[in-house]
Amino acid sequence: MVVSIKFHGMQRVVTNTDSIDMPITVKTRVNDALEYVRQQYPALHLEEDTVVVAVNLEIASLDRILRDNDTVSFLPNIAGG
Amino acid sequence: MKILHQIEYKPARVVGGYTDRILRVNLDTQEITIQELPPDFKNKYVGGRGYALKLIWDGTTRETHYDSPENILVMASGPLGNEPAFPGTGKFVVGTISPLTDTFIDSNIGGHFGPLLKLAGFDAVAVSGISREDVVILVDGDAQTISIAAAPAYDREIDEGALSFGDSLLKDVNGGEYSDSLAAVTAGKGACNARFGIVNSLFFDIRRKRIRAKQAGRGGTGTVMRYKGLRGIVVRSSLSKANGNNAIDKEGVRRAGSQLKAVISKCDPQQLHMSTWGTTGLSEYMDKFHIFPINNYQYGQSPESSKLFANVFLDKYFSKKIPDGCYYGCNLACAKGAENVELTRGPKAGLVVNVDGPEYETVGAVSSMGIFDPHFVMEYSWYCDEYGIDTISTGVTISFFMECFQRGFLSADDVGYELTFGNIEAADKVLHEIASGKGFGKIAGQGVARGKKWVAQKYATRNGTSEDAAMAELNKFGMEVKGLEFSMYITKESLAQQGGYGLALKGPQHDEAWLIFIDQVHKELPTLEHKANALKWFPLIRTWFNATGLCKLPWIDVRNPEAAKTAEPAKNLPTLAYYVAYLNATTGSNKRLEDILDDSERLYILQKLINLRQGKGTRISDQIPLRAMGPAYFNEYEARAEYYDGWLQQQLGDNKVPSSQEQRHKLLMEKRIEAYQQLCDIVYEKKGFTSQGIPKRETVEKFGLMDEQARQLLSKFGL
Repeated sequence: MVVSIKFHGMQRVVTNTDSIDMPITVKTRVNDALEYVRQQYPALHLEEDTVVVAVNLEIASLDRILRDNDTVSFLPNIAGG
Repeated sequence: MKILHQIEYKPARVVGGYTDRILRVNLDTQEITIQELPPDFKNKYVGGRGYALKLIWDGTTRETHYDSPENILVMASGPLGNEPAFPGTGKFVVGTISPLTDTFIDSNIGGHFGPLLKLAGFDAVAVSGISREDVVILVDGDAQTISIAAAPAYDREIDEGALSFGDSLLKDVNGGEYSDSLAAVTAGKGACNARFGIVNSLFFDIRRKRIRAKQAGRGGTGTVMRYKGLRGIVVRSSLSKANGNNAIDKEGVRRAGSQLKAVISKCDPQQLHMSTWGTTGLSEYMDKFHIFPINNYQYGQSPESSKLFANVFLDKYFSKKIPDGCYYGCNLACAKGAENVELTRGPKAGLVVNVDGPEYETVGAVSSMGIFDPHFVMEYSWYCDEYGIDTISTGVTISFFMECFQRGFLSADDVGYELTFGNIEAADKVLHEIASGKGFGKIAGQGVARGKKWVAQKYATRNGTSEDAAMAELNKFGMEVKGLEFSMYITKESLAQQGGYGLALKGPQHDEAWLIFIDQVHKELPTLEHKANALKWFPLIRTWFNATGLCKLPWIDVRNPEAAKTAEPAKNLPTLAYYVAYLNATTGSNKRLEDILDDSERLYILQKLINLRQGKGTRISDQIPLRAMGPAYFNEYEARAEYYDGWLQQQLGDNKVPSSQEQRHKLLMEKRIEAYQQLCDIVYEKKGFTSQGIPKRETVEKFGLMDEQARQLLSKFGL
């Protein structure tokens, strides 16, 4: 099983890719995906208090269990200038 | 420069953020006066928008239109607008009776004009009357003179441009040299020919060694300026910019500023990264969530959108590694710019120019025309600024006419060429025609509200149908409310933001409320009650920023990590605490956030009263186009059928959704209309209005606004 982690904005510039795949098990949670990205790309400085987690474009909590083919994004808070 | 009239004066010193003086200029009589404000004026009206509202309320009437001599053009900073130790100061507002909405409009603007005006001794400048010849006003705090001068003639090409004229003017009054002790506001030739003229705010950027410009874009303030015969205002002061507000508690200001700067430095690079990308970073996220206003807000997403994402502008255009604050001390520094951009289209093709921007709104405006060419964005941004017209209203108006082509309301016979979505050459042509008031530009320069009437008449005559029937169709996709064109966000999936636009007192500009993400994406506003509470709270706090001379972005677009521990993270209350501390340290007050919201509500109700007086203050003026509520046409529904069907099923509960897509689309729109009306009901109640959106007597009295004019006005409405 695998999920796709999408990169947006400056994340895409830092990682130099639109997305990466991450293998998962039945117990893998969003938090594991966050940790995975941190290890792969320490320069991203992702912190749970400053990012919004979206799974399949829906806001999700860090302890949500991931399923096969989910897409995960770590988005900024946007409040519209 | 030929001085027509001059007075000498002694600049008042700024104390605790105020000079308690307004400079008043009557261009009919060339009279220059200095109005001293009573002590309670600032306590009641705060500054910025509040000062503009009070001057317009007292100095104009129901019969005042944008071109009436008694209309007043107010430029006002606030008590917090002049402090390099705190990020995001330097803002001022331009307020007046709008050529688009016929009621009060204000637009906030960055740059050095507001701070220098304050140092030159004035909290605001208010210009009335209409000059017989084009003039400029010179406020020289160093020479201690205020002058009205004949507008200098440099060269036709220069004189017609808001940027080039301002550049020449700033050098002219300073012996041919640029200086950061000077700033100017100007309006260009486009502002003479379109109802959506802007005011440019020009200042010398010591790092780039050139004049830069920010814009008061919304509502046609530049049109009013040009109608008055006022080509520019220059202000000069060599007083130190440090501690420009002359705060009562300087250490308190320093502490609050340091706290906010630390949050920005840490969090912005992890979030929107505005310090590198400016506001263009939003395009990608708007596209991702179907909010990008493609083809006149029909579709929120396009495979071509990535051509307009921030990395494109950063790679190709933006100057890098230059702090880009529009006033000193702002470490969010989002005012991006580009040097040496070659124009490839229009009357100045071949000219190499400096572009300040583009902002997200300009990028969105180009996408609304179905165009995905970043170089066109740069050219469009520059031409609009140089002509002095609003990139938003220009884009939305052009895209409205493009949709009229798409749906058969217009043809090339009406316009003179094929004005179709994605047609860069046609968009470019109409842009220059708007600015010069020629050809189809004469119609397009009137904006969407008046454009709808013109199209309805043409269509009805040609087809032998009624104008009303044509108008009913055009009202579905003519993206304006109260006469102002929408800013660049699709609201079809956010009922809260439909209210954010429809209930906004100036018209659909998002500076009252931008609730799309917390509603549509975060789903933090699940009920009408939640949405209505947000539609009360956010406009009030946002009003305060416009009254005090502050930029909202360091608060609203950089989320403080501590906010995650609060009940309502979207309010970013930990950061707002720095602002409250900054206010109290500057003015010597002892206010809480609740007091600030009360101050703002007074201004909000005053603005509502002006709307009511000018015929834009009741429920009917808060109605939004069908497209703002949902997919006005079947093609829009089809493009997001899965989402819309899911929404409809939620509304129907256990009842079955209709079997055909056409029936589902019809029922969906009926439900959307119903939901918007329910939202209006509950928001009016929360704001202390009647069900017709009129403030109740007790609401007006609560904020000390029941003067004779208010009493008579409410009586007319049976209150």
